[in-house]
Amino acid sequence: MARRVLGPGQKRVSAGGVAADTVTVLWFVFALFPIVWMFLLSLKNNVQQTSTYFGFTPTWTNYLTVLGSKGEQLTSVDFKSAVLTSVLACAGATAVSLVVGIPAAYAAGRWKYKGSESLMFQMLSFRFAPELMVIVPLFVIYHYLHLFDTTVGLIWVLQLVTMPLVVWILRSYFQDLSPELEQAALLDGYTRVRAFFTVALPLVRPGIAAAALLAFIFAWNNYIFPLILTDSNATTVTVAVTKFLGGGGQAYYNLTAAAALLGVLPPLVLALCIQRYLVRGLSFGAVKS
Amino acid sequence: MASLTLDGITKSYGKTRALTELSLTVADGEFFVILGPSGAGKTTTLKSVAGLEPIDAGTVHIGGTDMTGVEPYRRNVAMAFESYALYPQRTVFDNLASPLRSGRTGTYTAEQQQKRIGEVTDTLGISHLLQRFPRELSNGQRQRVALGRVLVRPAGAYLLDEPLSHLDAKLRAAMRAELKQLGAMSSTTTLYVTHDYQEALALGDRIAVLRAGRVVQVGTAAEIWSRPVDTFVARALGQPEMTLLSATVHDGRIRTADGAVDVAAPTGLPRGDVLLGLRPRAVGLGHRDDALTVDGTVRLAERLGRLVELTVRSGDTDVVAVVESAAAPAEDSTVTLSVPTGEVHVFVGDRRWGSLAGKEDHDA
Repeated sequence: MARRVLGPGQKRVSAGGVAADTVTVLWFVFALFPIVWMFLLSLKNNVQQTSTYFGFTPTWTNYLTVLGSKGEQLTSVDFKSAVLTSVLACAGATAVSLVVGIPAAYAAGRWKYKGSESLMFQMLSFRFAPELMVIVPLFVIYHYLHLFDTTVGLIWVLQLVTMPLVVWILRSYFQDLSPELEQAALLDGYTRVRAFFTVALPLVRPGIAAAALLAFIFAWNNYIFPLILTDSNATTVTVAVTKFLGGGGQAYYNLTAAAALLGVLPPLVLALCIQRYLVRGLSFGAVKS
Repeated sequence: MASLTLDGITKSYGKTRALTELSLTVADGEFFVILGPSGAGKTTTLKSVAGLEPIDAGTVHIGGTDMTGVEPYRRNVAMAFESYALYPQRTVFDNLASPLRSGRTGTYTAEQQQKRIGEVTDTLGISHLLQRFPRELSNGQRQRVALGRVLVRPAGAYLLDEPLSHLDAKLRAAMRAELKQLGAMSSTTTLYVTHDYQEALALGDRIAVLRAGRVVQVGTAAEIWSRPVDTFVARALGQPEMTLLSATVHDGRIRTADGAVDVAAPTGLPRGDVLLGLRPRAVGLGHRDDALTVDGTVRLAERLGRLVELTVRSGDTDVVAVVESAAAPAEDSTVTLSVPTGEVHVFVGDRRWGSLAGKEDHDA
């Protein structure tokens, strides 16, 4: 029985491998299809937007309309200012979450005390309580505090989304870090604060990058809070996108699709920029494994 | 330079007792070794001195000052961790410079730092690694860098947690010999933790043997070797371990149940059960005067270079002897072993009573 000799670069093809590849490809087609569909939809004109055929006359007009440079219809939606508000609010929320969350995560990762686990769980519970549950009292409070329809108000409420995320992700990073590294710094003559800044903090940089990115995306995607707590001054991208569906008049699915695709870009760009900091394994070789 | 006094230190992790009423006094400039199996509380003792672990009870004095509860960076002690604890994001040079740059170990110009680090790395044989990162080093090299980070600075006391454990055997022997001759080490109080009895005997001005968070015995190497306070200390030192034969004192004779040993009891030895301890190197071949003799068959002869380790079956027990290979009998041959009475340790109720030559009093 002659065995086939494989040349360089050739691999033995197995039936299982082929099946696995096929399933993977099918899965990707399935998962990516909505985005493809949205992209096609965003290129259709107002007449063809409801047709399900792939044959149509593509046009960039929808994108120009959304960005406001071609004011045919629905100019009342200021998409560019919504993007700016979203960027400010999400960046602000992420920044505040990091400034407060990093020390909190460090403390939670290093010290156990009575009730520390309950505290962490309570913080996480903000995440799985439905937002609608707190939205009515928040709405009233925001009116009293004059935070309604302001960027500051948005930053504040988006903390509910980003803070638990930052604390929980970074806590596990700090826990993975050997406490003996900071102990060594203490014996080198550094105070606990300096040991934290010079030893612990640089080593969790990948974790900070990951947490910041996720926090930004979660805040960016949030819909309910800006929908209820803002009006025209501090509208975010998520809310602005839905306004193209029209309130009673014609629904512009093509404009909605174009706006949604444009709205994905900022977090996508951020993810690409931050990617190189997401490398793990920086602390390899620090301590005996 | 400073003396260390630990008084009644008790420490628990949750429900696990790590240290119980531990008291030690280390003189200024002394090289003091803590020896014990893993889990005995050796590292916890070091961390208590360093202030890295809060203690439940007791006091720590460094240089006569009560340092209990004082922050680690105010204690002026340096420690080499068993896990090395090197800063992974910094080069070897920056790791070594870290204690010099903190401002609490003195003020150093860049030149002085360079000089100190140069001296230490030359001694430790790691001067070619200065620009490398810890991840690029072998475990042995990392361990030497960790040791260097201690030696590079002046300190009231050096705390070394198994600093040679990851070196290969040859390097370990060489470093062991060098360690005590290092200038800094010879003048600075050093608390050295190890589970290797040879390191303890070779390095320690004095040795404390720890078991389950308690000090079992403190003494010089000679004292601990020749007069172990109980069977735990006796067996902790020496490879192969001391052979222990259980026997009964009756009518002025000490006998084992199988009759292999039958020897006159020293005066004053109470009746009842005793343990006879024989160090393998003290066991010789052939008859001797004033000695305990045992007849048996050689069950196993293992060559250890110049010496041969014999396992001799006598009655129901094995006696281990280490003899010169020239004189070593073959396996399955019948031999007579003898141990001078002064070197047969007699334990009563696990505590050392003395030797077959008579009772001895312990200071510890």
